[in-house]
Amino acid sequence: MSYLVLEGIEKRFAARDGSSEVVAVQNVNLQIEQGELITLLGPSGCGKTTTLRIVAGFEFPTSGDVILAGRRINEQPPNQREMAMVFQSYALFPHLSVFENVAYGLRLRALPEIQVRKRVLAALELVGLEGLEQRSPQQLSGGQQQRVALARALVLEPKVLLMDEPLSNLDAKLREQMRTEIRRIQQTLGITTLYVTHDQAEAMTLADRIVIMNQGRIEQVDRPIQIYQRPASAFVADFIGRSNLLPARILGREGDRWQVQVLDQSLCLPTSALAKPFQPGETAQLLIRPEAVRLHPQGSLRGRVQRAVYLGPVVEYELALGPQSLTVVDTDPLRPQIYRPDAEVCFDFLPNCLYLLPT
Amino acid sequence: MAQGVASSSAAPVLLWQERWGRAAAVFLRDPTLGLGLLGSLLFVVLFVVTPLVQVIAQAFFDPRSGDPSLEYFRRYFDPVYRGYQWQVVGNTLVMGTCTAAAGTALGLVFALTLSRCRVPGQRLLHYLCLLPTISPPFAVAIAAILLFGRSGLVTHQWLGIQFGPGVNDIYGLDGIIFVQTITFFPVAYLILRAMLERMDPAMEEAALNMGASRWQVLRTVTLPLLIPGIAGSVLLLFVESLADLGNPLLLGGNAVVLSSEIFLAVNGQYDQQRGAAFSLVLLLPSLVVFLLQRYWVSQRSYISVTGKPSAGQMTIAEPWIRWPLLLVTGLGSLLILALYGSILVGSITRLWGIDYTLDWQHYRVALSRGLNPILATTFLAAVATPLAVLMGLLTAYLVVRKAFWGKQALDFASNLGAAVPGTILGIGYILAFIQPPLPVVIGATAILAGYAAWSAAPRWGWQLLVLGSLLGGFLRWVGPSLSYELYVGGSGAILIAMGGLVGWQSRAWPGWTLAAVGIYLELGVIEPYLTGPIGVWGRALGGEPAKLLTSLQVMIGVIFQLPLTLVGFGLLGVLALALRPLPGSRLAGRLHLGLVAVALGLAFGLIFAGDPLALVGTPYIVIAAYAVRSLPTSVRAGMAALQQIDPSIEEASINLGADTQTTFRRVTLPLILPALLAGSIFAFARHMTSLSAIIFLTTPRWPILTAWILSEVEQGGMSTAAAYSVILIAIVFGAILLLMAGARRQVRQMGGALDLMIGGG
Repeated sequence: MSYLVLEGIEKRFAARDGSSEVVAVQNVNLQIEQGELITLLGPSGCGKTTTLRIVAGFEFPTSGDVILAGRRINEQPPNQREMAMVFQSYALFPHLSVFENVAYGLRLRALPEIQVRKRVLAALELVGLEGLEQRSPQQLSGGQQQRVALARALVLEPKVLLMDEPLSNLDAKLREQMRTEIRRIQQTLGITTLYVTHDQAEAMTLADRIVIMNQGRIEQVDRPIQIYQRPASAFVADFIGRSNLLPARILGREGDRWQVQVLDQSLCLPTSALAKPFQPGETAQLLIRPEAVRLHPQGSLRGRVQRAVYLGPVVEYELALGPQSLTVVDTDPLRPQIYRPDAEVCFDFLPNCLYLLPT
Repeated sequence: MAQGVASSSAAPVLLWQERWGRAAAVFLRDPTLGLGLLGSLLFVVLFVVTPLVQVIAQAFFDPRSGDPSLEYFRRYFDPVYRGYQWQVVGNTLVMGTCTAAAGTALGLVFALTLSRCRVPGQRLLHYLCLLPTISPPFAVAIAAILLFGRSGLVTHQWLGIQFGPGVNDIYGLDGIIFVQTITFFPVAYLILRAMLERMDPAMEEAALNMGASRWQVLRTVTLPLLIPGIAGSVLLLFVESLADLGNPLLLGGNAVVLSSEIFLAVNGQYDQQRGAAFSLVLLLPSLVVFLLQRYWVSQRSYISVTGKPSAGQMTIAEPWIRWPLLLVTGLGSLLILALYGSILVGSITRLWGIDYTLDWQHYRVALSRGLNPILATTFLAAVATPLAVLMGLLTAYLVVRKAFWGKQALDFASNLGAAVPGTILGIGYILAFIQPPLPVVIGATAILAGYAAWSAAPRWGWQLLVLGSLLGGFLRWVGPSLSYELYVGGSGAILIAMGGLVGWQSRAWPGWTLAAVGIYLELGVIEPYLTGPIGVWGRALGGEPAKLLTSLQVMIGVIFQLPLTLVGFGLLGVLALALRPLPGSRLAGRLHLGLVAVALGLAFGLIFAGDPLALVGTPYIVIAAYAVRSLPTSVRAGMAALQQIDPSIEEASINLGADTQTTFRRVTLPLILPALLAGSIFAFARHMTSLSAIIFLTTPRWPILTAWILSEVEQGGMSTAAAYSVILIAIVFGAILLLMAGARRQVRQMGGALDLMIGGG
């Protein structure tokens, strides 16, 4: 029995002029186990924040149910759900000190003062802000404010922790630091967490499972490695990491081996490299990650270098194969040479790094 | 796996119903919100919609015979009357258009000069511009007569003009337009200045960067961006001009406009139908303009006027632009100084036009004969201020933060109170409240009682209402045979007892709130006996102190003798809050129901005691009129403040476990306090300077200062009128200083949005 379940969640908004409708979230089904950190990942406008707010109780789903620990909580108002939210803007109360901000929720529960003090200080220590209790939020840096917001949520020991792009207002270095922190704290406390972000690296670092959303629908729910290696659709393949998608055609099948035609070549792939059982003659897309292409001076597949960029740890190439183009990332520090634009190169694909997607 | 019942499908029709049902559920579950909504709706319906409806209806009925009559509309087509009728309409439109154009132009010049040029004494000039907003609306007319009238300082003494037939004097349409321009241009100035300061400087810089001269930038970038503000100002000034009563009365001469026509119809000819009919004619352009301004102009603004001013605005340094601006600004400022200076001088000289020796007699007269209106007006204006600010805040909160059916209607109606010319509202109040407006009272009672009953005991709503009605009916039947003290005091005692019981069995605060209503009733009963001695003492002292003490006695009475109907409404509200089923309540089921029924009965008994809401002649109607007139300003102040608070702060509070009421109290309120204070200042200023709405509501017991000044002028006492005006300005100014001194830090925090509230009506 999953801890937090979203069943058939749908949310429609009336457009401003009242004539048409915007479907923000459609047919969202999710089962989250206790202690899991799930990220909702997707481009702007894909419905991830709306879904989060439905779970929090700030939006009512047009249809569908939110079920927590076996109980349907659709009718529960947001202040009775025992979920704590960390907002994108932190939403710290500017007229209260750090201590009072964190103590706010505890005070509402009429806990004795000694307990409040103990728990607040413990929470602040957990996020690494001991000693700053008496400051006001305006006197803190962005990262510190972020941590106060986190402490304020955690101090209540909520059943579910909700995070709405909490790191998007921080600079890159701080973001990296904070996400490891957040993951560490979440795992220490074992809190079920729903985390919204549009940053892939964040999702890959933090999540037990990633939910990729696009235009209100869920594209795929899986562990990070599965999302990357076995994306469910071209959208997912393109959204996470970089991808090359080459047109392909199924030629035939022999037991476990499939013949596929790509770039006028015939490749042989195992069933595990196919997203679904194809029919002979069907068209498909072959996914090759740029780092799975190896360049040679000789070989059967050829192309011409259009662009070569030396980035330091890797060299990036853009190859032209007739009308097609291929992005290649050379990760080998012992590479024999760096090809120049207009050079003719040969390449092949690393074994077991190919994946066939439907069109 | 938990399989819930399938939720409603997503068909659009059901979607609307579900949304409405959902919204209704929110309001039932959160009584503070529900009561807040009902309260503001009740206020608006009672004091804005009902009077307006009455006026509109009255225009079509002959009051003597009760038959429908289109008499006064017919006259627009009748050959005998129509010449005059159309001339009045024509005068009004000409006056409005000219004032709107001239006032906006002047305001634009001032705004450009003070925000874009380096001028010495900027702050001083700014406050000088605001002077007309804290003075009685006809102050400039008085000054104009003093300076430019038949015996005026400038026209008669300096220029020696002889005023015979054919010589144009200050009286007439041109004079009205002149003084109205000076009186209303600050509105345009504030709007346009606010827009200029919030404009992104990058746009003008980009134009300069591409080679435009400063004049070209002004012409092709700055002014076009200001067009919504200019259009808005024109429309606003048009409405203000049409609504203006004092200036046309004083300076109109032979030129009659609609507002003076309405006044004369009601106060001179005692013909309410005539007054109502003209009100309707006046209402039409005002409403049209109001709608235009709200729904068309303000939607097209490129500059958000609720944001903070942007830094780094370009200053105009080119002399050929700068000097004309400075010249006009300078002349305008001198004119304002001269006008207000003449009021001041007129009040302290013996006889204007003849003898200019310093003499304080006019103040002596003003403070003796006029002490009553001064005290009464200040008191009523002050009492109305917290009411207006609270109502404004409530409405602003509901409109900005909540979504519900009828939200637009509430927003619109709350603005209507000031958009409609005051004379119309004044007539409306007389028509609506001279007799108890029973349909409205019954309707309001039904809704409030229904809400209270269902909040308190969801499954017994109908039964409780019936029981309560029976009890209330019984009280009403028995009431006239009981003395006032027994009736009210008895109700109060029962409530206190109930409060005690609830406090003991349930939680403390519901008990206290119930008991508080009871205590208030008891105080109302006791109060005359306590303040009686003050009056006696005063009369024994005689003279000035007598008046002061009598006034004090009366004022205390106003606070404690609220009309019982309103107390009854309050009790219903308290019922919904205090007798809701609360966790931790040990109240037995039957007892709880009994308490609700008794409370309902008492409330009905209070609401229908005597003449419910026959408010004409009481000070309460003046307070209501004040609050309605300043409501839009308070709403705007509240909205500006709320829009600057990130909504996620309030959501965070809710997420952490607080309900709406706690969130408002502990998070929202501290953050909007500066705006409330600013709103209070402007509300008070508006109350003190109100004329057109309350001119029909003033009584000998509650004389209003602005009406008093008007009659003083009509009797020829220009100097005394000037003295009264100075006193009024001083009171408003004093209040501003008091509030600003008491909350300096918070007022500074508010900064930009402050000025805006006074602008726009």
